[in-house]
Amino acid sequence: MNEQIQDTGMILKIGHLYPTLMSVAADRGNLFSIEKRCKWRGITTEVEQIFVKQTPDFTKYDLILFHGGADREMELASHDIQAKASSLIEAAESHSVFLSVCAGFQLLGHYYKPFQGPELEGVGLLDFYTEGGNTRFMTHMALECDFEQTGKKVLVGYENHSGRTYLGPNAQPLGKVIVGWGNNGKDGFEGAMYKNVFGTYLHGPLLPKNPWFTDYLIQLALARRYGKVELAQLDDTIEDEAHDAALKLAMQFKGTTSAIEATPWKR
Amino acid sequence: MIKDDTHGTNGKIAAPSGLERARLSLAISAGKLAGASGRLLRVGGGTSLPGLIARRIDPDVLKSVVGASKARKIVITGSNGKTTTARMTAAMAASSGKRVSHNRAGSNMLQGVTSVAVNFADIFGRLHSDVLLFEIDEGTMPLAMPEITPDVVVITNIFRDQLDRYGELYSVAKALDKTLEVLPESATILLNGNDPQVANFGQKAKAKRLFFGLETTEVGTPVPEQSADIIRCIHCQEDFQYEVAYISHLGIYRCPNCGYTLPPLDIAATSIKLAPDGQGPTYVELRTPQGNLRLEISLPGLHNVYNAAAAIGASLAAGFEKEKLPPALVNIKPAFGRLEKIQAGDQTIYLSFVKNPTSFNLILRLIAQHSGQKHILLAASHTIVDGEDFSWIWDIEIEEIAQEIIDVVCSGNKPEELAMRLKYAEIPVDEISQNADLESALDEALKNAGPGGTLYILSSYTPTNELRRIMQKRGWVKHVWQE
Repeated sequence: MNEQIQDTGMILKIGHLYPTLMSVAADRGNLFSIEKRCKWRGITTEVEQIFVKQTPDFTKYDLILFHGGADREMELASHDIQAKASSLIEAAESHSVFLSVCAGFQLLGHYYKPFQGPELEGVGLLDFYTEGGNTRFMTHMALECDFEQTGKKVLVGYENHSGRTYLGPNAQPLGKVIVGWGNNGKDGFEGAMYKNVFGTYLHGPLLPKNPWFTDYLIQLALARRYGKVELAQLDDTIEDEAHDAALKLAMQFKGTTSAIEATPWKR
Repeated sequence: MIKDDTHGTNGKIAAPSGLERARLSLAISAGKLAGASGRLLRVGGGTSLPGLIARRIDPDVLKSVVGASKARKIVITGSNGKTTTARMTAAMAASSGKRVSHNRAGSNMLQGVTSVAVNFADIFGRLHSDVLLFEIDEGTMPLAMPEITPDVVVITNIFRDQLDRYGELYSVAKALDKTLEVLPESATILLNGNDPQVANFGQKAKAKRLFFGLETTEVGTPVPEQSADIIRCIHCQEDFQYEVAYISHLGIYRCPNCGYTLPPLDIAATSIKLAPDGQGPTYVELRTPQGNLRLEISLPGLHNVYNAAAAIGASLAAGFEKEKLPPALVNIKPAFGRLEKIQAGDQTIYLSFVKNPTSFNLILRLIAQHSGQKHILLAASHTIVDGEDFSWIWDIEIEEIAQEIIDVVCSGNKPEELAMRLKYAEIPVDEISQNADLESALDEALKNAGPGGTLYILSSYTPTNELRRIMQKRGWVKHVWQE
């Protein structure tokens, strides 16, 4: 990309949880986004894949990715993750950054009760529970976040879930719904946060189109080893175009539960 | 009168009254007229309109026409490979001297399927065909099956496709499996044995099950690629062990926990010689219940070995003579937009319709075998047929050929998303351009390719149609229905 990349000597350790089991909707784009935006700034990334039956010490990871999967995969992950739960909680308490998406997000909560079938136990790292609904939210989405370090910023993406999530007092929502349905379609909030743990329903994948959020996660993750780090500026012309186009598109779908059914025949 | 399309007729067709006959004739006539005027006015492909109009007048038109016909009825469904498998089967039927009616233009939702009845029947609803061949969208199967009651059903594979339309993979698969239960004992279900999910279909069906697939380690890879869906046992969820993976999750798999493995294959490619230049022909030794066959397939790639094996299986199940089948594959032309070679003056275009990571990766790997560096036009749209969710472009392995790409023009109504995907595959930004207008994007990409050069187009359904229309206007390709 850029020939004169200066090696910063910094290393970011990434744990990619269930990379094959939980990999629906191309969420691996989140990993690409983090890896490349580090590489382009001379920051080395080391990625470890964590599969079922493995119980690493999660506190060694600066950043942990946990993506979406269908109900069948989620059930398997729910059983397996119980053996990982205490180490995951320890990592969260020691300020590891988590990005969890959709089913991965749901499994960081207390439990997920599908519309049909048995209840799935979560990690209980985030204070919320999820219940299956009889309709699916499948549409373009935008939400407004307001973090101390970034100010008000917009996230764009695509939601595709039937679970309804209800936050408890110890979790903050990730943001306020601008367009779409978010956690439960009722309270106007989306996702959850606790310390450096973030959970969201947004696919898309989330990070490529929201480079500000990728950089925010990278900064938080580096802070664990290196304190506050200023990230070099990148040319985000294409990313910003994609972000703006996705926001514009989302606005056109306001109020629809299924984008595909609401799509005009002629575009 | 609105009928519940989900209930079958149990194969019994009551004698129609005079009024019903009149309505059927009217429906067919109106459908035919709509198709003719669509072609005349150059509106759309004109391929699903006849069915749409006819169903408005008589919702039972498909059921009545097909039910009254004595022809062998073959249905081909699945995520990928439907169109080419159907074309190969049609060619085999023709080389066996059969008259075939077929939704050839790949319009495979209920209206397009109904168009077969409308286009090929006379106005009294009589079909003068020996074989009715239907390519049907996997999500449309629960509606179409009770109306057709086929003699042969082929399921090619089930891949991750259109999650925004159907929710998730397993619900599509489950609904498809359920439709097989309506088939009578005399029918044959032909399943891809290399697909762990499809191979388990039809457990409750009365019809006979046959399995086709690949059975050689000459080709393939040791493990399935990232976008593979069914890599865990469908019974106990243990990770499969693969002896070989062919395409996505298709392969020779075995569950180390419960022992679930592929069934013995009835139609099996036991030896495969792929063309090293990615341009065909492909040589295959095929085992069938009626003895071995030696195939020369004019099309490249492992996916076409699957298509050929499925087509041979369907043809044998339909009772065509074994010896008449192989010659049909020697000169088979790629279907519309399947790495279709198009001469554009002194330039060459390869047009590829790609709709999900599996088809995209297949085409990328074939293109990578072509010599030289590549000029590419990438076009994708989010529309009702292409889907709204665009995430799948992050599941494609564009990184594998990033080094060979000299320039890419991104088009369709989401050029910025495509450009971003390429940037994260580390294709230099100055080699990527965006142009939402398809016609000028095509010109720009052809200019990039230079005099006598070759352009590769990879595009989703809607832009493929539109690009083809532009090329037809320029006299580079014929219309879909003239093929």
